[in-house]
Formats: sequence, structure tokens, C-alpha cells
Amino acid sequence: MSAVTGLPRTVLRLHRTALIVWAAFVLAAVAGLVWLNEITADSARASGSDWAWLDYSEPMGWVSTAMYYSFWAVAAWAGSALIGRELESGTARLAWTQGLSPTRWLAAKLALPALVLVLAGAVFVPVYRWAWSANRDLMGDNWDFGDVFAARGPAVVAYGLCALAVGALAAIVLRRSLPALGVAVAVMISLNVYLEQHREEFWPTVTRTSATEIELPNSASQIENGVLVHGQRNTSVDYWSCDGTAAEMKRCTDDLGITGYWSTFHPQSHFWPMNLVETGILLTITALATAAAFWTLRHRTGAARKESAV
Amino acid sequence: MTDTAIEADALAKRFGRLGRATWALRDCSFRLPAGRVCAVVGPNGAGKSTLLALAAGLTAPTGGTVTVLGTTPGAARARVGFVAQDKPLYPQLSIAETLRMGADLNPGHWDAAAAQRVVAGGDLDPKKRIRSLSGGQRTRVALALALGKRPELLLMDEPMADLDPLARHELMGVLMAQAAEHGTTIVMSSHVVAELEDSCDHLLLIGEGRVRLAGEIDELLEGHARVSAPAQSDLSPHTVIESRTTGRQVSALVRPVGTLRADWQGGTPSLEELVLSYLRNPEAPALTPAKSEEFSA
Repeated sequence: MSAVTGLPRTVLRLHRTALIVWAAFVLAAVAGLVWLNEITADSARASGSDWAWLDYSEPMGWVSTAMYYSFWAVAAWAGSALIGRELESGTARLAWTQGLSPTRWLAAKLALPALVLVLAGAVFVPVYRWAWSANRDLMGDNWDFGDVFAARGPAVVAYGLCALAVGALAAIVLRRSLPALGVAVAVMISLNVYLEQHREEFWPTVTRTSATEIELPNSASQIENGVLVHGQRNTSVDYWSCDGTAAEMKRCTDDLGITGYWSTFHPQSHFWPMNLVETGILLTITALATAAAFWTLRHRTGAARKESAV
Repeated sequence: MTDTAIEADALAKRFGRLGRATWALRDCSFRLPAGRVCAVVGPNGAGKSTLLALAAGLTAPTGGTVTVLGTTPGAARARVGFVAQDKPLYPQLSIAETLRMGADLNPGHWDAAAAQRVVAGGDLDPKKRIRSLSGGQRTRVALALALGKRPELLLMDEPMADLDPLARHELMGVLMAQAAEHGTTIVMSSHVVAELEDSCDHLLLIGEGRVRLAGEIDELLEGHARVSAPAQSDLSPHTVIESRTTGRQVSALVRPVGTLRADWQGGTPSLEELVLSYLRNPEAPALTPAKSEEFSA
């Protein structure tokens, strides 16, 4: 344990390029958010042009999109440069014969990037939350947009941590850089697509029924809606074809047997529980992948025997 | 401290999945006393690298055990130096940074001066990146890292292969000085026997994943004899390793049992002759001190 000061220094020295690139990316994102809200937002309002708000909202979208999908880069890097390349070229063996056990090597290799990802999230997420709510009148998005949803909470960090662990596991199992990169990125993309599709199911929705048509607030994330036909929910009655004056409308809907309306949605207050549930799922996968990576490495290098023998 | 550097007992390592699996090492047993300079020889693919990797704690055996400096390879890690055959180093680091890494990873027992000396011997600019070095220069840096850690046991896989004759001579001198000064046990593999003859005092001959010969080189040479006898001579009860009949003469390398007949012209074989005879004749019975009988007493 006495090498604890020298070991992080070594890991940082080996991966300083990645660290510099990542730091530059996060700082550019944060600086961009500050600039957009302090400078661009005001000038967009002042210009009077109909489309000036796009000067603000488009780059805002790029920032959250780039940060959201940065886990692709993390997965690729963890699978190749961090672990895969070391196992492929044999430099891992160099480290393991320089007084560093494979377990400690992997622990250091994962802990430092994890710390960097958490620190980046601790800086980015609060700034983004402020930036996203500062000029809502210029934005056309909603809290349930994929990138916005993740970037306004810890989920964006959890995606990075999960990508790190999945990349490391792929590299340790495959022991080659390029295949590990491919597998890690593919797994993370599939996981992300799955979670995006099922996000709304991970927390109970709110259903509202009413005798009149339901006007949800703009911030609500609507999942399903329809009409009540003789008290039964129905999504197939095309009541929107009813047209004309209020009396004509009434007659038309009566003919269809419509007695009311219902809507299922997530109100904006569901953001935190939904974001935390997704974070929890991702961190569980992170923990499992990390455990599997350590187990595989220990099994392969005989470190497991050492424990039982000592 | 223990007087045994490496002890292998029925050590086995299999590569590949079931069905297409190949045994790199099989039923490999030997004991290397501490303080020796041991040559591990054998043809390409004999299992030399696998044996060294097992002793260095880089890979787990499929069967059997290997004990290093009285403990498991994993527990002995801090006291063992290792130079892999392809001399892996981090290409993005400079020479100075590589040595600093050695210092960082080996706190308390890093000999910066010794590492520096090895690098300085090659006239290398410490600011140079590893990726710009030649094969021989990389070998020098890899050796510097291994020696800087002041190991009790230094394992080297084909350490001299990339070096020019001058560097080879110089670095062999550095290694021998290390062994003499600090009592370091040195194990190096090679398939060039001549390279090892002058510096090594212990031999481990591996063929097809098994130990064929193991022991002190002097004793192994004394335990064998070259004989020239008339053809049709009955060489028994001596163990014949190799024999060749030319005209009315049979020349053989034997392991004498009792005394040889005086009229057979004999002599002690050279190390190279001994090694080649065993390698040419895979059927020849192996000679490995049965550790349980000889050493447990």
C-alpha cells in the first residue's frame, strides 16, 4: 500500500493525453454554456429576427448531446487505450512485474478515470442545470429529451462510469484493443437505446381523466392519451375528426359514445426519481462489470490462489 | 530468506479451449537453489517463456504448483524482476519517465543509480521517447527497470537477443556483477547455448513442455561421457542418450552407470554437445534430481 502516492502519478503520466483532452472538452462545454446564457441569449432576444432564438437553442442542444454521448468515447478509450492496449502489447505485464499486483493495477486504472468522470460531472451538471433553466423562452426542448434528461442529473456521470467498467471488462476478456473497443461501444449503445426506450416505465406514471379534453402543462411528458367510450379507455376512436362549432363537436363526440378523456404522463416532478432510477441501474451494471473484470483478471493471473495460500 | 529460488512441482500450463488445447508445460518439476545463474534452454516453443511467466506470477498454472522465494509468485512480486521477450515498455513515455515509473512503483527498494548506470552505458538521451528507440536500446531500458528494482530473483526471457556483441558483453557483465554483489539469482532463457556457457552455473533444459535436464552444469557434464567404441559394442548398462555408428566405430553420449570400460575412448562433453544430444533425441530419459528424495532430507 506504500506505493499509493507513486501509483496514481504513474497512471496519470501514462494517460495524460486522454486527461488533457477530457478536461478541455468539459471546460469547453462549461464555458460554452456560460457564454450562451450570458451573451448569446441576450443578443438573440435583441436581434428581433424570427429565428434568432436558434442561435441560442441549437448550440445549447449540441452541448448536452455531446456530453450525453461522451460515454461512447469513454467506452472506446477504456476498451482500447486504458486496458486493451496494455494487455495486447504486454505493458500490463511490465507493470505487474514492477511490484504492482494485477489487482492493484486494475484498481488504479479504474479508480483514477472514475474520479475524473465524477469530478467532471460535479462541474458540468450544476452548470448545465442552471443554463437549461436560465432562458426557457428561447428553448424548444423539454426535460424528457434524451440528452437533457441525462445531463440534468447524475445519470450522465453513471453512463460514463458504466462505459469505463464495460470497456475494462471487454478488454480483459478479449485481451485485444480493437475488438474490445468495438464490443464496449456496441454494448453501451445497446444499453443506452434500451434505457431510453424504457425510461418512462421505471417510475409509475400519472393518469388523469376528465369529462373535457385534457390540457397538460407544457412540461408534462405525455406517454399515452385517448378518450373514454362509455367509461372505457379507448385509443382507437378518431375523435379528432370531429370538427366545426361547439354544438357540432358535441354531437359528433356523442355519436362516437365519448364520455370523457384520459391522459397518462410523467409530470416534471418525476424527473428526479426517474433520473435516480436510471442512475441506479447503470451503477448496478457498473458494479457487476467491475467485479467480473477483477474476477477474470485474478483468475487468469493466479492472484486468487495467492489469497487462499496466504 | 530461503535457499530455494524456484521450486516447481508437477507444474502444467495448457493454452486454448478444450479440443484444440495445447500443453505449453506438462508435469514440470525442478528445484533451483538461490544464488545461481541459471540457463533455461530449449527449442522454440518448448515452454521456456511459459515457465518464466508462471514464475513471475503473470499467468496461473493449469495444474501443479510453483514456489518462488519460498512463497507464491504473486506474493513474491516485489522481490522478483522480469524482462519479457518482447521487452514491452510504454511507448509514450520518455526514458527518464520510464525510470521514474520504476521508482514510483517500487517504493523503498528502487536503486536509481543502478538503473541510471545501465541506461548511461548505452549513451541514451533520457528525454528520448521509448517509441523512438531501437530494439537493442529498448532492451537496455527494460533491463534498467528490472535491475533498478533490486530483485532477489531476476527472470529474463531471451534478454540478449536484440543486442549487438559489445552491448551484450557489457550488459552480461552488469548482470554478473549484480549476481556476485547481491547474491541475486538470475534465470535467463535462450536458444543460443554458447551465449550462456560462460556465465551460467545451472541448467534447465526444456523440451516439449517437460524438463529434460536440470542441475548444476558441472555435475551434469561430469555425469555424462562421450565414448568412442567399436561398433556392435554393448553399451549397457550405461544410459545411452545418443549414438551414431560410422564405419567400425560407434560414438555415443552416455550417462555412465558405474565405470566405463577403459578401452573406450571417452571424455566429458561440452555443454553444447550435451544440450544438442538431448534435443536431438526426445526419447532419451530425462535427468532431473527428484527433489523429494534429494532435497527434503
